[in-house]
Amino acid sequence: MSLALNTTRRLRLGHVDLSLIPLGLAGLFLAMLVLLPLGWLLAYTVTDESGALSWTNVVELADTSLFLEPFITTFGIALGVASLACLLAVPLAWLVARTDVPARRLLRGLVMVSFITPPFIGAVAWVLLAAPNSGLLNQYYRGITGAGTFDYLFNIFSAAGIIFVMASYAFPYVFVLAANTLDRMPHDLEEASAILGGGRWHTFRRVTLPMVLPALLAGFIIAFLQAMTQFGTPAILALPAGFHVLTTKIWSLFQFPPKAHLAAACAMPLLLVTIFLLRLEKTLLGRRGYTMVGGKSGSPQLAKLGVWRWPALLLALLLLFVTVLLPNLVLVRASMLRSVSDPWTLETITWANVPLVFGLSNTVGVLKNTLVTGVVSATLGTAFAVLIAYLTARRAVPGHQVLGFLATAPAAIPGIVLGVALFIAYTRPPFQLYGTLWILLLAFLTIEMPPAYQQMQAAFRGLNPELEDASRILGAGRMKSLAKVVAPLLKTSVAATWCFVFIGAIRELSATILLTTSNTKLVSVLIYDLNEGGALGGIAVLGLVLMAVTAVVVLIANRVAHVGVMPDGR
Amino acid sequence: MSKLVLSGLTKRYGSHAAVDTLDLTVESGHLVSLLGPSGCGKTTTLRLVSGFAVPDGGSISVAGQVVSSARGVVPPEKREMSMIFQSYALWPHLTVAENVAYGLKLRKLPRADIERRVQAMLDTMQLRRFEARYPAELSGGQQQRVGLARALVVEPKILLLDEPLSNLDASLREEMRHEIRRLHDRFHYTTIYVTHDQAEAMTTSDLIAVMRDGKIEQAGAPDDIYERPETEFVARFIGSTNILRGRRVGEHEADCDGLRLVCESGHWPEDGSAVVSIRPHRITLSGAADGSAPGTVERAIYLGAQRHYIVALDAGPKLQVLASSDVLAHEGERVGLTLPPAHCRALIR
Ligand SMILES: Nc1ncnc2c1ncn2[C@@H]1O[C@H](COP(=O)(O)OP(=O)(O)OP(=O)(O)O)[C@@H](O)[C@H]1O
Ligand SMILES: [Mg+2]
Repeated sequence: MSLALNTTRRLRLGHVDLSLIPLGLAGLFLAMLVLLPLGWLLAYTVTDESGALSWTNVVELADTSLFLEPFITTFGIALGVASLACLLAVPLAWLVARTDVPARRLLRGLVMVSFITPPFIGAVAWVLLAAPNSGLLNQYYRGITGAGTFDYLFNIFSAAGIIFVMASYAFPYVFVLAANTLDRMPHDLEEASAILGGGRWHTFRRVTLPMVLPALLAGFIIAFLQAMTQFGTPAILALPAGFHVLTTKIWSLFQFPPKAHLAAACAMPLLLVTIFLLRLEKTLLGRRGYTMVGGKSGSPQLAKLGVWRWPALLLALLLLFVTVLLPNLVLVRASMLRSVSDPWTLETITWANVPLVFGLSNTVGVLKNTLVTGVVSATLGTAFAVLIAYLTARRAVPGHQVLGFLATAPAAIPGIVLGVALFIAYTRPPFQLYGTLWILLLAFLTIEMPPAYQQMQAAFRGLNPELEDASRILGAGRMKSLAKVVAPLLKTSVAATWCFVFIGAIRELSATILLTTSNTKLVSVLIYDLNEGGALGGIAVLGLVLMAVTAVVVLIANRVAHVGVMPDGR
Repeated sequence: MSKLVLSGLTKRYGSHAAVDTLDLTVESGHLVSLLGPSGCGKTTTLRLVSGFAVPDGGSISVAGQVVSSARGVVPPEKREMSMIFQSYALWPHLTVAENVAYGLKLRKLPRADIERRVQAMLDTMQLRRFEARYPAELSGGQQQRVGLARALVVEPKILLLDEPLSNLDASLREEMRHEIRRLHDRFHYTTIYVTHDQAEAMTTSDLIAVMRDGKIEQAGAPDDIYERPETEFVARFIGSTNILRGRRVGEHEADCDGLRLVCESGHWPEDGSAVVSIRPHRITLSGAADGSAPGTVERAIYLGAQRHYIVALDAGPKLQVLASSDVLAHEGERVGLTLPPAHCRALIR
């Protein structure tokens, strides 16, 4: 017996290894996904309208009202958000992780519910609650105190209002980091300190705090980044108040006539600060992963709160009621009323908002667009994540480290920056994608690649490569082994990743706002438009639909994957 | 069948050569053991043979056709080989029968044919009862047999086994060792069997290749390797032995600290030094008046069928002696040892 083909042909075949071609193409596509837009962004930053190399953009940026003011505002707000988020999250995390406060699971669950609400919908809810005139809370205030028509208690259209709203959607991220750290922290250290005579305060300051501090700083950075890069909340709250943050400024540069060069220059600092802060966070967290929710180990020594158990619980519930439940409740209320200022009684309840919203000429089309881009980007994104994670986990091709870097790099690109970059890159030949759903697809693929890749990478690490080798030696090629052995074994991770990307895509606003046209509108942008038109009942309906879909998908993902999956904050 | 020839095979990781100009010929239908300490390059050699790794130098040929060289390799799936992995690598999402049928399905055989061959193989492996179970529901030994069944059912040209028994307990290992030899006698696949257990290599192989630092130190039939080691490394690695060092003082004679030893076989180092190996059971222990080398029993250990003595010779060296359990000597007793020239072997290093 001898091998069927002659040696030279065999060798050549082996040398190329045909199955590497699709894998190589995936790598190439990934490079294009990240490098092409960023390259254009850089190019636009340092050129003028005529394409000549110039510093005019940078010079114009130095103009205070254009850049400096929004920049300072953004920084101030982000600092405020990060501080407030930590202030809310850390005591709560300590309560549920380290004390005998009642209903700890309920408290954890309520925090998770907050991930379901996209922040920009939360912002609309807070407009309903605390706009100076029409806000419900202010109406109640006037009703109770008999204050004048123009008096108000809260004004959400203010820097303080923005900080509060953003912090209430950022603190769950800090909470998860802090609670996980407290859960995993070896308790024996604390106990040792207590045995050695350290008082509770001393133990906290000298043992607990130093161990939690890195996670806390990392949480601070995450909240800071969210506040700095978000578009929706400031657009809804700061623009009526008459000031800009960086993201809204960039967006305004795209209002007619678009100033893409200036926008590119304006996006650069956002990009650089993000990269810097993410590096800092990585250093702080080291190699430990804090992304998993749940998975507690051991039973920690819980601090006894004594008589303070119930007051502590009440306080925690109050906090969660205000930040999590109240906005959602007011959305439900608004979805059922013709006018948001109507009282909420059996007589005034109506379904009128539903046909109203779905009767708008473009709503059905918008929902279809959202669903299509969501499903397609989830499917393609997961497929790419699987391929790239496979290449890097198995070191299958030379240069796999570069692939891993490229796949995680978009995490440092804020949505609005990516929006600018994609707009520039794809409004020109050979890729004239602006005005099609393709450009949105590219945006979502890029934005969701890092988390999707990291999930799949972890899954591959847990899979013995010999399982795959066994398939190959029995006669299956690389791709076939991937399909017949690896895919079935990873299907839960694949499903979880799919859900993750899907949720991320259907609620994205920051990049989408720059990339949609009237024909390619998505739900998030429709909600934003309705807000500008003051159709708050319609927003409430759409927002609730979006949240219901998110909740269902999250539940499914958690069911199949047995790990915590939470939507992304952008 | 397929003769397998590795010539000048080299694989480097960084500057370190995991496999270093290795030459080995496996005759068609033979079972060759690769035996060596951890890290000597056994797995790397198998991965080169199976096509998972590309050599940096040398070549591998199967039945006269080159399948691997630095210029390229035939990918694993085209080599018609089978491999048993140290981790078994059974697919947890497939049943025993599905695991075994996998390779046949890839070969696009008729369904009835697949069914028949899977059933026959499951019978051979005494796995019939477990065919509908998943790997997680089997014991270690049963899993190993599924691995074997899966590899053998495709009737490979070449079978590669990487420490297939290392995860099993001692008695099961003993049983599977004979099982593997029995299967080989029945199917006669050209086989490379990687192990670091010399007893395993002795029972299973036609030829043992002892590896060290990426090279074959010595290859030969089991008795050849045991009785006629070339180097101290091989002599020590296969069974226990006494190594004595000294000077060469005659055509066949060595002086080790005053102890004169005549070696009937072996090769001498060029530089006039001498390294002599003699197996403990080849030494005869008798009364102080007899024997060529007087000494004192330092330790006596009763092992049931045998007695193990450590004897300090008057001339200096200490020797291990294995005697039948009838030969009784107490610690501190004066004894005489006989070191038969036929069993003293000169080693090159
Ligand atoms: N992928 C790799 N990258 C770098 N070095 C490697 C790689 N694979 C093996 N090595 C090195 O090559 C040498 C031989 O490894 P190999 O796995 O072949 O040893 P082995 O004989 O199978 O050992 P064991 O009995 O422990 O399985 C070792 O020093 C190992 O560290
Ligand atoms: Mg090995």
